[in-house]
Amino acid sequence: MESGRAGFEGSGTEALRELRAARRRHYVEELDVMELLYRVYVGAIFGAIGLGVVAGAVAEAPATAGAVESLRLHGPALLGAGVAVLVLAGLRAGARGGPLAIEAAEVQYVLLAPIDRGAALRPAAVRQLRAAALVGAVLGAVLGNFVFRRLPGSPVEWIGCLALFGALVPVSVLGAALLASGRRLQPRVANATGLLLLVWSGLDVAFGWTTSPGTALGELATLPFQHGARLWLVVGGAVFALALAAAGLGGIGGILLEAARRRATLVAELRFSAAVQDLRTVVLLRRQLAAERPRRHPWLALAPGRGYPVWRRDWQSFLRWPAARIARVLLIGVGAGALAAGAWAGATLALFLPGLMLFVVALDFAEPLAQESDHPSRRQLLPLAPGSLIPRHLAASTLAVAVVILGGSLGAVAAGANAATALGLGALLALPLALVLTCCAALSATADPYAYMFSPQLGYAVTAAPLLGSSLIVAVPLLAEREAGRGGGAAAAAGGIVFTLAIVGGVLVAVLSQRFRKRDAVAA
Amino acid sequence: MSPPRALLRAEDLGREYEGFTALDGLSLELAAAELLGLVGPNGAGKTTFLNLAAGLLEPTSGRIEIGGAAAGSVEARRALSYLPDTPVFYEDLSVAEHLGYVAGLHGVDRPGPRIESLLGRLGLAERSDSLPAELSHGMRQKASIALAFVRPFSVLLADEPFDGLDPPSRSVLFDLLAEARAGGAAVVVSTHRPDVIAAASRCVGIREGALAYDGPPDGEEIAGFFDAALSG
Repeated sequence: MESGRAGFEGSGTEALRELRAARRRHYVEELDVMELLYRVYVGAIFGAIGLGVVAGAVAEAPATAGAVESLRLHGPALLGAGVAVLVLAGLRAGARGGPLAIEAAEVQYVLLAPIDRGAALRPAAVRQLRAAALVGAVLGAVLGNFVFRRLPGSPVEWIGCLALFGALVPVSVLGAALLASGRRLQPRVANATGLLLLVWSGLDVAFGWTTSPGTALGELATLPFQHGARLWLVVGGAVFALALAAAGLGGIGGILLEAARRRATLVAELRFSAAVQDLRTVVLLRRQLAAERPRRHPWLALAPGRGYPVWRRDWQSFLRWPAARIARVLLIGVGAGALAAGAWAGATLALFLPGLMLFVVALDFAEPLAQESDHPSRRQLLPLAPGSLIPRHLAASTLAVAVVILGGSLGAVAAGANAATALGLGALLALPLALVLTCCAALSATADPYAYMFSPQLGYAVTAAPLLGSSLIVAVPLLAEREAGRGGGAAAAAGGIVFTLAIVGGVLVAVLSQRFRKRDAVAA
Repeated sequence: MSPPRALLRAEDLGREYEGFTALDGLSLELAAAELLGLVGPNGAGKTTFLNLAAGLLEPTSGRIEIGGAAAGSVEARRALSYLPDTPVFYEDLSVAEHLGYVAGLHGVDRPGPRIESLLGRLGLAERSDSLPAELSHGMRQKASIALAFVRPFSVLLADEPFDGLDPPSRSVLFDLLAEARAGGAAVVVSTHRPDVIAAASRCVGIREGALAYDGPPDGEEIAGFFDAALSG
């Protein structure tokens, strides 16, 4: 069976190159160029109009001199700490086999062939880096478009610097992930390395230094403040990001095939779920990709009892969360609070993000409810009225989300908000806001992803509704309270807001109950 | 006279998955022209062993070599062909394009006649331009077999390769395995089928990750292994 073999490495690599060219040709042949151009055209027009309208409509008040000075002094280190957190996440993902997602066939035929795995994998890694850098640059530029309105510096400087920062952050994160997966870093080594970088950035924040690579990258984002005086630090940050990417690309051939195969299957499912806008499955698959499993032993074992079985079941689920998920949820909560503080201080546009972040948190807490929704026949066997089981799951999730929102108020205080206002609002709004957010997450998690297969536009709208609702349900009350506070009517406004949120929450609970009453009736 | 060189050698091979032992200290040697029937109940560790030999999994203990090189190394990949239990395809390549590609990756010079012969023998000639999505379960299995045989190898690992095949295709696969042996290749076939075990030159039984039988494919001993394995 050994006959008929030519020079291996050369011809194998050539076969790989030919295949990629052929696949590109197939792709181009099947591509409807006019349709693509039309989509780009429509997207560009609506994007530009939307950006212009939002930028003009949101009255961004110029930051005060004190705020500018504070940002100039602490901004780079704080941004650097953010970069360090992301690099830590990248290292952790890499230690679990990320970030490359290769087709199963690529693992079976290419990575098992006698060719250089590095050469085979590098083009995919470069594509991923390029795409992430491009998206980061666009997001950075969009952010720069808003920042220059509040801070001193020219539009060109801000848009340019933030676009470059936006490009280099994903490059360093993906570079770290590629490095960890290619060099097969043990998870504990990856964690320790990432934590070391984070502690280094933390010291920069605490002592006002500029020593860590993350802070050097942060200098790039605030370069228009410095008028180029700290350019050499910026160059250091950029070199750090590019060096990580180069080192990651250099060792990419060492990835574990076991992890590559597992990711190939999960990513294929993830793409399908994303295509049918099945947000909950996307979250579940993301968890599997991150190898996030429930703890074998809960943090706290609940004593057996007879009452409130749904409440107990939900807490049993939360108490088995792995440490990484708890940390992520708390960090998201604190980040949402910090963003809300920034928005309160004048960066109004940032007000729409905390709701989205808290929606992601609520989606995690809605998991026991979503699992109940997966098994209609099990519900049918219970001696309960149709549609009455699902709303009972809202209680534990709402309380848990409320705790995260309270954590968010602490984040707002840490970001410079007035402690009495932030903690007072947090205490007042936590429960009603949590109820609405949990309902939004539950409606999203229990939506039928295949209901709109033949009318995808409607499907997009149904998928977007809970997201948009969550964004508004956090933004509007905060905006109202801020404006009422400026007019001296904060207390009256707060009462109205709580009442309105309770009404919205009640309506959403009714909608959710009705959804399951209908489903249970059909099943019966 | 020195003993024949082992084409596959496993020494104290072990693999654990988060506290679960899938393979526990398995030692095995396979010489050229041997056809080894790998048997055992579901979850015994057969597929784990094949994946370790193919280099798709890393052992947690021990070692495994293919043609004297560590499993997964370039030399081992050059020598080993792996036919998985579930066929894997690129969704945008036809059957013939798959075969040409895999042959190219393994440096086969002028693979055309070999591809035509395999497609003809496996009854896929009419479907050579079909995409994987257009193939039935059995045809996908046959295409996967063709992919395993289109390239040169000295060790073939096949995981339940007869599943889903019609009788004529089973006969072709038996012929292909016999030709591989005649060409000096060592073949490992994981199976539950008595006719495949009967065709093997040697049988290895695995139970709970450990070697439970190594001997001829017929006789009372292997029958005893099956009885014990099936009765749990």
